Amino acid sequence: MPTAIFTIGRSGLTASRRSLELTAQNIANATNPDYTRRTLTQGELVMTGSIGTNAADSLGGVRPGAIKRAESALVQRQARDASSAVAAAEAEFFALREAESALETSGLFTGIVGFEAALNKLQSNPTEPALRVTAVEAGRKLASNFRVANGTLANARSLVQGEASAEVLTVNELAKELAEINADLVGAREGTAGRAALLDARDKALRGLAEQFGIQPTINANGTADVMLAGTPPVALVTGATAQAVSVTFAANGTANFAVGATGFVPAGGAMAGRASALTDMANVQAGLDGIAVSVVAIANAAQAAGVGLDGTPGQPLFAGTGAADITVVLASANGLATAPAGAPAGSTNTANLAALITALSAPTGPASGADSLLIGLSSRVSALETRSEGLAIVSASAEAELLRETGVDLDTEAANLIRMQQAFEANSRVIQVAAELFDTILGLR
Amino acid sequence: MSSVTNSTGSFFNRSLAQMADLRDGIERTRTQIATGRKFERGSQDPAGAAQLRSIDRRAALAAVEGDNAARLGQDLGAAATEVEAVTALLQRARELAVQAANTATGADGRQAIAFELAQLSQELFSRANSTSLTGEPLFAGQSSGLAFSRDAAGTVTYIGTPESGAVPVAPGTAIERGLPGSEVFTFNLNGSPSSAFAVLDGLVAALQGGAPDPVAAAKSALEGIDAALDTAGRATAILGTRMAWVEQVEAQQADRKIARAERRSRVGDTDIADAIARLQQSLTALEATQSAFARVSSLKLFDALR
Repeated sequence: MPTAIFTIGRSGLTASRRSLELTAQNIANATNPDYTRRTLTQGELVMTGSIGTNAADSLGGVRPGAIKRAESALVQRQARDASSAVAAAEAEFFALREAESALETSGLFTGIVGFEAALNKLQSNPTEPALRVTAVEAGRKLASNFRVANGTLANARSLVQGEASAEVLTVNELAKELAEINADLVGAREGTAGRAALLDARDKALRGLAEQFGIQPTINANGTADVMLAGTPPVALVTGATAQAVSVTFAANGTANFAVGATGFVPAGGAMAGRASALTDMANVQAGLDGIAVSVVAIANAAQAAGVGLDGTPGQPLFAGTGAADITVVLASANGLATAPAGAPAGSTNTANLAALITALSAPTGPASGADSLLIGLSSRVSALETRSEGLAIVSASAEAELLRETGVDLDTEAANLIRMQQAFEANSRVIQVAAELFDTILGLR
Repeated sequence: MSSVTNSTGSFFNRSLAQMADLRDGIERTRTQIATGRKFERGSQDPAGAAQLRSIDRRAALAAVEGDNAARLGQDLGAAATEVEAVTALLQRARELAVQAANTATGADGRQAIAFELAQLSQELFSRANSTSLTGEPLFAGQSSGLAFSRDAAGTVTYIGTPESGAVPVAPGTAIERGLPGSEVFTFNLNGSPSSAFAVLDGLVAALQGGAPDPVAAAKSALEGIDAALDTAGRATAILGTRMAWVEQVEAQQADRKIARAERRSRVGDTDIADAIARLQQSLTALEATQSAFARVSSLKLFDALR
């Protein structure tokens, strides 16, 4: 059957051309991070007919099979989990580093030391107007340091909150996209390029979700993915073709509350968990800052009440305020600084009361050491987070590399494939040529 | 086909990450050299940052203590100068009293002596109320008003406080600001309180005819003047001791300042030699990585196929 050779050659041509196309597709997508390497399966085409005990084979060449995607469920999951963990650590690290800079650049600690120094200097001559004014102005500067620290901390907090709100929108987009992909996947035929592209899009959406929230996806037999958000309690985000909406609200102290639909939950991974944790830390820092401001107000005003000013009248409050946001100097005149103890006459240079104030300010429980321990607590936390996120970044990078190794395009392999397929194509052309020559030979018989 | 391959994307990612790491390290070292500071943020070295804060706080307070000590030294110096002048004045008064006690000095002579003594008494009063460079009374204790007042009858009384208060000049060290006038000009004479003013004014009154026997009065006044001289001498000694103490504290402050600066430098300053060596090392590594990357990334089968 000379025509069979034609058919075989033609099937070979088709198969090698489709393989070449796929190789070209792989090369074109070599830099696409969401692309998974594809291969074409091939099957031998043999037709066997039998009449009674006489069996006869008819060779039919090759049948181009299905487009296979390099399967990677396990490494995909490793890469997702690793990126979830590193995103959590990095989000918290960056947020708290903002808070740290806010406190450090506010000059809070130097403000407290400046106030102490000005009071110490006043001890050398408590009746000198210049020194009195300097001391009150140092107090005013300290109050403004508190307000700056409060403002910059609020700024850092609102940056994190804004980021969380914006990323919640991304998560909702991704969840909706995944639900649509699920719907499309149900109808997509196995082994088609369209299905492979949908699966790529599914894995991309899962990776995007995993960066923001820790997820527990279930991959169903038909390729669709259902997603639970890890947390307390775990909540379903995407089930089949339906996606729930994630929302975030912020409490008065700045901490974040997440909800899927109407169910509130605490996220257990991903950048959102990092942000939530950073916001909680910031609320604690804010409480610490307010505590120091309140203690400065209390110590200074108690000392004022226990002494008399330059004119011999009882001291009036130096500071007013209920926290770092509203602390201000309220003493009308620098002469009102109660340097002398109660009972001292006007113009007394007795500094006993001033000395008591200085002692209270520099005590181990005073604001100077309070600010120091607030700063050292925060910077230790940031330092630990930096180390942690560096470590997790390495883990994540190696998981990513592993994923790319499994699913990425290797240009060397593709170049070799290109040559192989080209040769196969040429060989199949040659088969057709031989078939034609055979035919010609037969036709030319005389 | 599920063979494991050497993905091109993976190779590029890895190379880029390695180069970014090196570049990051170089940038950090460069910042350290440029700013001279080992760390920019507390979180780069929380313990070091806490130490720096504590050193800076100590430095700020020490600077104030240094100012306080310098100022205290000036005030004590001013007081000592005044007390020295008072001593000289009292010695002159003693000479005059000795002359007045001499019977050879006539009534006119005693009048002249009484006149000079009255002048000396005035000067003594004004010296007792003298002020420091910044206008604070030197001998009024913790009062900012006059140290002594003279009533209509001419009696001089101390109106300052009996304590002069102390100025902190070092952690745990406070030095008395000066001497209250009561310790410079008043004393016990034969069991009853008296003062340099009372002795001089009493002698002036006696010499001007207030006493039937001016010679005896002058003789007995000598005892009071000697007591006043003793008191002033004691005050000079006390002030001198305190000035020496202040100087000692200032010397200690200077030493501590150097120690603090050394410590600050050890904790927070960049070790330039070390940093430059590290920079050179990192630069070499980066250059090598870059050229290796360029070589390896061109080794694709596509380049070999023509």
